[in-house]
Amino acid sequence: MLSMYIDYAVWYLLLLAAYFAVRTYAERFLGPYYDLVGYGLVFVLAITLVYIAVAPPVFYARYRYRITDDRIDVRYGVLVIRHILVPIERVHQVEIARGPINNLLDLADVTITTAGGEASIRYLEVDEAEKVADRLNDLIGRMLRERVPGPAGA
Amino acid sequence: MTDDTGAPARHGEPIRCHPSIVVERSLSGIVVLAVLVMQLGRGALPALLAALFVAVVLFNYRQWSRTTVRFNETDVVVERNTLFKTKKTLPYAKMASVNINRGVLNRVFGTARLQININSGSGATVPEAVLTFSEDTAEGIRAEMAQRLYGSEPVSDEEEPAEPTVAFSPVDVIVHGLFSVSTYQTVFGFAFLAYSVFQLHLSAGVGGTALVSLLMFVVVQVAPSVSLISHYYNYRVYRRGDTIYLEHGLIRTYKTSFAVSRINAVRVKRTLAARLLGRSCIEAEVVGLASGSGESLRPALCLLKDDASQQRLLEDLVPEFVYEGAREKQPEGAKGVLRVRAAVASFVLALAMVYPSIAVYRATAALPGTLLPFALPFATAAVVLVIWYATRVSYRITEFGTDSNLFTFVNGAVDRETVVMNYDRVQTVRITEGPVARFFGVARGQVYLLSAIGGASVGSGYFDESRLAAIGETVMERIASGEYDYRKNSV
Repeated sequence: MLSMYIDYAVWYLLLLAAYFAVRTYAERFLGPYYDLVGYGLVFVLAITLVYIAVAPPVFYARYRYRITDDRIDVRYGVLVIRHILVPIERVHQVEIARGPINNLLDLADVTITTAGGEASIRYLEVDEAEKVADRLNDLIGRMLRERVPGPAGA
Repeated sequence: MTDDTGAPARHGEPIRCHPSIVVERSLSGIVVLAVLVMQLGRGALPALLAALFVAVVLFNYRQWSRTTVRFNETDVVVERNTLFKTKKTLPYAKMASVNINRGVLNRVFGTARLQININSGSGATVPEAVLTFSEDTAEGIRAEMAQRLYGSEPVSDEEEPAEPTVAFSPVDVIVHGLFSVSTYQTVFGFAFLAYSVFQLHLSAGVGGTALVSLLMFVVVQVAPSVSLISHYYNYRVYRRGDTIYLEHGLIRTYKTSFAVSRINAVRVKRTLAARLLGRSCIEAEVVGLASGSGESLRPALCLLKDDASQQRLLEDLVPEFVYEGAREKQPEGAKGVLRVRAAVASFVLALAMVYPSIAVYRATAALPGTLLPFALPFATAAVVLVIWYATRVSYRITEFGTDSNLFTFVNGAVDRETVVMNYDRVQTVRITEGPVARFFGVARGQVYLLSAIGGASVGSGYFDESRLAAIGETVMERIASGEYDYRKNSV
């Protein structure tokens, strides 16, 4: 949650900077729309602030992932809930990634890439991320080893 | 080591590409330098640029002379021994297609470009190797490689004229060029044309605004149509064994072939104009057909043709993708979601038009006998009506169907599209429920497939979550039961 809050705070600061830039420099450019755009931006800033306050705990409470022998299921979302299913058979690549904020908090994301898209398991503790990646690599390795006696793939 | 002289390449023997490649690569440089000379042609600069051009030619000559290609028993090796050494090995087992295309310069020099694509989601838009040889050599190499890639078909037959199931006349090509462009794009293009005519009428002369609008019309509407007509000129499609062959092109000619097993999905498309003409076209999602020249990467299996011919061609070319199962309409809950969406869109539009409408009214209220003061409110009301009509049509036509091997989505209120997919080609399934959809008990599905541009997704309408989840479950069942054969579907 902390990582999400920091992430959102950075974006919110950028949004605030854009707001002040518009208020300071865009009066002549916007002409009669200056006040209207100003009120619109304040409204967007207020809504965003509410979302930022509420979203991380909801995201955290709803976030679920499950790895079985044949599939990866990820369910997440704040307003829009998404359910992603990735068959282990289709996994091409497993990657552990850490941005600067996650680095500070000892967190990592595991990104699972298939030939036609990707899915992420986000905000895992580094040890857990390593375990997840190892498990996935084991499952993929086992699947490929089972295929070795057969003729080579197309 | 030998140069490309027109004789077929022997196995393992390193050969060089056709020397005309030096001219091809240098030509773009000379155009840029010529423009620079024309713009800045004073003092010592032209001489400097000429020296630069000579350097570019020498560089390209060196690249050509030190690049060799070896066609081995199991792979093709492209090796460049310059300052930045590269060695690219392309195993036949991983190749998706070997195609030939010829541009204007290729015709001048009697050469052809041999393009090798491998089965890869990353870098799918660019061929792994583009090799220029004399036309005979390229055809010979392609025929030999096609035999390795596509199996035991007699290669010599490839030159014999195959009888296509459906023939395409120049009129079909022109109709395809004009009416396969998306309706939104056409409306956009003609709006620019109308604005341009309006400006010409007002200013009684060719003003800057009219010219820009006219240019936009050409870019948005005319250029894509002309490009399509040129691309699909002399279009011919046929299937031999498990391989589909495409031949077409006016300025640049294309000879493309791919195994049916490489098709991930088939789209039957009907733009609004095409529906009015009773025509439809077929496109396939195939990985590994990149030509690197920026054209559409999704091959057309059938240009806009009457629906009966399109259906016949579909059954003959890709019977593996003929869906015969039942289709279901969206449930009642979808109607609620679509209505809420339409209401929100109408509200936002009306809100956005309040201020401009008042401004236009104030500016034109004094004009006698004109409807101009009310033009924007009328236009807004018309767009709102269109939004609600499109919502109604969207609810009526969106469908979803599943059978044991295939499943299908039908979408598009204006330009209609039926996508038929095989469970074994599904990479991931994503089900999305927004707050409104949750309230009405429906969800949307997105299926991710490997496509010509790397990855592509196909979206459904609003259906029960359990119905959409059944796609993923069927994929898993087919893997678990062994119905899915990784050797046929491996990427």
